[in-house]
Order: sequence, then structure tokens, then C-alpha cells
Amino acid sequence: MPPTLLTVAVGVLVGIALLGAAFDRRSLAVVGIAAAVPDVDAALTALGVGAANATLHAVWIPLAAAGLLYYDTDHRDRSWLRHRYGWYGVRVAWVAIATYAVAGIGVDLFSTESVALFYPLSDRYYAIIGKFVLSTQEGVVQTYIEIGNGWEVASPGTIESYHVDSWWHPENGERRLQLVESGWQAIIVVTAIAAIPAKLLVQRGDR
Amino acid sequence: MPTSVVHAAVAFLLAVGLLGRFYDRRALAVVLAVVLFPELDAAVGLVMDGAHRTVFHTLSTSVVAAGVVYWETNRKESWLRGRWGAYGVRLAWVAVFVHTFAHLGLDWAHLSGINIVWPLVDQFVTLEGELYLSSTEGVVQTFVDIAIDPETGQQTVDAGQGGTTANTHVSTPVQPSKDPQPGPVDRRFPIAVGGWQLYFLLTGAFALLGRKLQSTPAVEEN
Repeated sequence: MPPTLLTVAVGVLVGIALLGAAFDRRSLAVVGIAAAVPDVDAALTALGVGAANATLHAVWIPLAAAGLLYYDTDHRDRSWLRHRYGWYGVRVAWVAIATYAVAGIGVDLFSTESVALFYPLSDRYYAIIGKFVLSTQEGVVQTYIEIGNGWEVASPGTIESYHVDSWWHPENGERRLQLVESGWQAIIVVTAIAAIPAKLLVQRGDR
Repeated sequence: MPTSVVHAAVAFLLAVGLLGRFYDRRALAVVLAVVLFPELDAAVGLVMDGAHRTVFHTLSTSVVAAGVVYWETNRKESWLRGRWGAYGVRLAWVAVFVHTFAHLGLDWAHLSGINIVWPLVDQFVTLEGELYLSSTEGVVQTFVDIAIDPETGQQTVDAGQGGTTANTHVSTPVQPSKDPQPGPVDRRFPIAVGGWQLYFLLTGAFALLGRKLQSTPAVEEN
């Protein structure tokens, strides 16, 4: 599975890109945590609640959060969040929601581990995997989405038939906390680690 | 290579944050040029064996570039600072960062890797492995395997060393294979291969879009 460490690294990169003037250690921590929260659903299954990569990986959570935030900041006479934390709070909240969706859910969705994106309305896990290549012999080769009878993406099964390996639910007795699965993941993690001091320097230069 | 489109997307994702107040379209264009330029060694491959992933895909370029930028911007008569001011200095550093991480880093972990310290040593290296915490084995990493040969007692280190320029060829649209096969040539221009490459393509685009839609900083709103 894409490890939580990778999710947080991507979250940090998105945070560095979008926090702008609200960037500081505290806001970066909030964003990093927002990226990690969806993976808590694997731990919740140990308590018998929901399913891994489903409960907190459902698209409804960031949608609802975005709706609430939009209502609070745009449709109320006096926004609670803006009143309490000002422009900073609103920016951090938006970026945290974006990170939850893009890093927390997205990284898993675009991997073989897959995500039950519409849980609990649908129990099916989805994975957007494949390739998109232009070839002089075969033309456009695109296998991410099967366009036949409607649009279809790969699916390893439903909550009943498919099991997501995690520390909480090991497959063969050995508990394993995956930190990095492959070379490119290592590069992304290192890049995020290098980008933090770089952004702190940039922030100092921009003041 | 992870495709050029993916390199560019990751580069944009990094550049949006690191350019900071100097973020503008021209700076993005420079970043794009910097992140695509190493692929030109694919063309050099037509006259030099194994040039792709060697000539411009070596960490030596990052080290030299960082040294030059540091020296140039810290001397009194700095041309870059004089001509472009703080904008030019920031852009130069972002370019070095993006070249190193978004291009060389990702290529290091892909296919035959990169010729990492060419021309000092002619040796392709691939970053491959995993890192995990196991309840039975403890911390396990397989990026660098250190083993002791039971017969000779010699220590061997395997960090994914591959071939040299003489025997390594990374396919490109310019030169699909080293020894042309009979029949029609299939030149492939990958846009994204695997879920993660499409993911970064979309995330890079998301960062650009997000940056565009964002409100102006606090000072003007409060």
C-alpha cells in the first residue's frame, strides 16, 4: 500500500505549494496531519468500525468539509473561522481539506491498493491504474479508464472480497509498517524533507 | 524516464511553493525549460553510446550548477543579481532544486537509473528497494544491500549498480533501441505509466490551478 509516510510527504509538498503567506511550521503540521488522517481507518477496523481505505477514504468527507467551510466563510454574516483565526485560518483550512483529498485519498486511489471512494453508498474498491502512451505503431494507448459500456476503472473487489493489508490486519501473522515501497517513493519523501527548509528560506526572503 | 510530462508536473508542484512571491508565468517557463533540458542527451545518444541518462543526467550537473549559482550570486559584480535582482537569484536556486529532485531523483528510481556521477565514474545506478518496520524482523531496508561473501569473506555493497555507457541503453523516442530491428520502428512517447505517474500529473496541475484561484495574502484582506 502507499505508506502513510508517502501520503504525508505528498501532503507536505501540496502544503508548501498552496499555503502561501500562511506557511509556517504550525500550518505545515496541520496539513501534514490532514494527509495522514484517512489512514486511521485501518486502525478503526481493529475496533470493528468500517473498513480500511473506505471509512475515512470516502469522497464525502472532504466534500462535506469543503461545503461547511464554504458556508461558514461565504454565507454567514460573521464567519466563525475568520473571526477566530483570520485569513490565516481560512487559508489553512482550505489547504488542509485539499490535502486530505489529494494526498490522503488520492495517493491510495491511484495505486493498486485502491480506495472504496463512495463508501458507504458503494462497497466497491476502485484503483486508477494503467498507462497512457502515444506510439507511432499503436496510436494512443490508454488503459486507465475502460471506455466501453460506460466508464470503468480497475477494481480489486468489494469490502467483502478484498482485504487491505495493514499493521492492524496483517496477512500472515507478521505485522508490517511499510514506510517506503519503491525507489520513486523514496525520492518523493526525500524531496519533501528537502523542500521544508527550502521553503523556510524562501519565506524569510519574501518578508 | 518517468515521462517528461510527469517531470514537468512534479517540477511545477515544487516551483509553485518555492518561487514564493516571484511566482509568475515567465518563471514557470524557465522551470519547464530546465526540467526538460536533460532529455536533450537522448539526441546526443545518436553520436555517443549510452549518452541518454548520462551526459545531463548526472548529479555532477547539480553540484556544478549549485556551485556556480552560489559563486555568481555572492560576488560583488554578480551579473544575475545586477540584471534580474532577487527574482533571478530565487529562480536560479529553484531551477537547481527542481533539476535535482524532479528530474534526476525520479529518473534515478526508474528503469536503468542514471549514470549518477558521470564523468567521474561511468556507472549507471538504480534506486530500488523498500523500507519497513516489521514485528518479526525489525527495521528492514533493501535499497542498499550489504552482504559478506561466505567464501572470500569480502564485503559487497549492492546499491543497484547497473551497466556502463557501453552496455546500457534507455529507450527514447529518438532512439527506441540501440540496435535497430528490421520492420517498422515503434517510437513511444509515454504520457504517464502507472497510477502514480498520472497522479503526479494531476497533482501538479492541481497546484497550478489552486495557486491561480487563491485569494491575495492577508495584508490586503484584513
